[in-house]
Amino acid sequence: MSNEVVVRVNNVTKRFGERVIFESVSLDVKKSEVVAIVGPSGAGKSTFIRCINHLHAFDGGSIEVLGHVLVGGTQPTRAELQQLNSKVGMVFQTFNLFPHLTVLDNIILAPMQVKKIARQDATDQAMNLLKMVGLQQKAQSFPKRLSGGEQQRVAICRALAMEPELMLFDEPTSMLDPELVGEVLEFIQRLAGGGMTMLLVTHEMMFAKDVADTVVIMADGGIAEKGPARQVLEAPRTERARSFLRRVLSPMAHDDRDLVANGGDET
Amino acid sequence: MFHIVALYTGVLLKGALKDVVLTVVSSILALILGALGAIGRIYGGPIVGGAIYWYVEIIRGLPAILQLFILYFGLSQFGIDLNPLSAAVIWLVAYGTGYAVEIFRAGIVDVAEGQHEAAKALGLSRFTTLRKVIIPQAFVSMMPNLTSFLVLQLKNTTMLYLIGYADIMYQARLGADATEQPGPLYLMVAVEYLVISAAIARIGSRVERRIAAYR
Repeated sequence: MSNEVVVRVNNVTKRFGERVIFESVSLDVKKSEVVAIVGPSGAGKSTFIRCINHLHAFDGGSIEVLGHVLVGGTQPTRAELQQLNSKVGMVFQTFNLFPHLTVLDNIILAPMQVKKIARQDATDQAMNLLKMVGLQQKAQSFPKRLSGGEQQRVAICRALAMEPELMLFDEPTSMLDPELVGEVLEFIQRLAGGGMTMLLVTHEMMFAKDVADTVVIMADGGIAEKGPARQVLEAPRTERARSFLRRVLSPMAHDDRDLVANGGDET
Repeated sequence: MFHIVALYTGVLLKGALKDVVLTVVSSILALILGALGAIGRIYGGPIVGGAIYWYVEIIRGLPAILQLFILYFGLSQFGIDLNPLSAAVIWLVAYGTGYAVEIFRAGIVDVAEGQHEAAKALGLSRFTTLRKVIIPQAFVSMMPNLTSFLVLQLKNTTMLYLIGYADIMYQARLGADATEQPGPLYLMVAVEYLVISAAIARIGSRVERRIAAYR
């Protein structure tokens, strides 16, 4: 991890209509840092990382990403957004592969269309990425024929094919059968080891502890606590963080006072 | 009765050929305009989108014969004299476009939000997203509607005899008057229409299976 800040979130507020999703959130992410964002459903974690690549507009504050400045309440130009998006990779909970394209075509689409890379070069690069995750023999398959774990690894390859400087993961393993979670997490861990800067929304606490440098707990419309992964997860300082962790680490031990605190599904 | 069949088969087939050509040409034009219209309707903002919305409402709301008569007889009063062929083509395209817009719109809206997000996150432009991601998927979900659209266009050609366009219906009508044998003549027309519709349906389901192979 270097000291160069690649993402600077400054006092960002997001509302859907009247409803405040989160308010005055600030966060710095340094080059090669791995930041895990955890927290109860409905805390706005997914919405938060979607603000970073402007899939969602936000209402107040500013976000500086790889030299691009997004200001709350203003609409950046399409060209500016496209430039930003070609440098930031994103992986979705539901994979969102293009179902009508083969695995290979999914991966080479953006490099060819956005970066104007020749088909042969894009294909070579895609095959290298697929080899990395042992899926080269699936290159000509359609996504529907793949398991969830395979689809998600392809989705990560698709994002990596753009050679992003920052990767955003939105609950990449939440839709997977338990036995398929490992293969995806292992790939993400390898990326982290390779120095990729990433923000990762996850419910995998052990993974967050092992792989992330920094853990952010989002709850009740803001950041409840952030700091070095081990410290936040093992010895949280705030009561809000403690109650959340108590619930995820021992889900059967009901504590009524905590359960009232949050409701609603994440959007 | 058989001599009627023998006598008119050639004429009716010639008329049917005209109908098929008209259907194909007008459908191709209507589908191109319909795709553009649907994009305009969804992404065009309130003015372009609103204009297309009303166009669709008018086409779908007015009886087909009324539209045809306004175009052919109504306009001629104001000095716009169309010959039957041009009136036929203009009307079939205009009418088909109204329906095609809705078919394309439904298909485009049907594509999941996650596909838009994924495309945007990869930095694809809006145009590329439409061309490479949205439209190909929309095509698959709208194939059944597209088949019925073509059959509808074909059936609408029967109305063209009312403006004096010499299609199969026109020939059968003339024959019925001349021979006083409407039964066999109209039955022949019915058979020809059925055969053509069946062919369209057949081709449609083939194409559907082909392009939906990924599902």
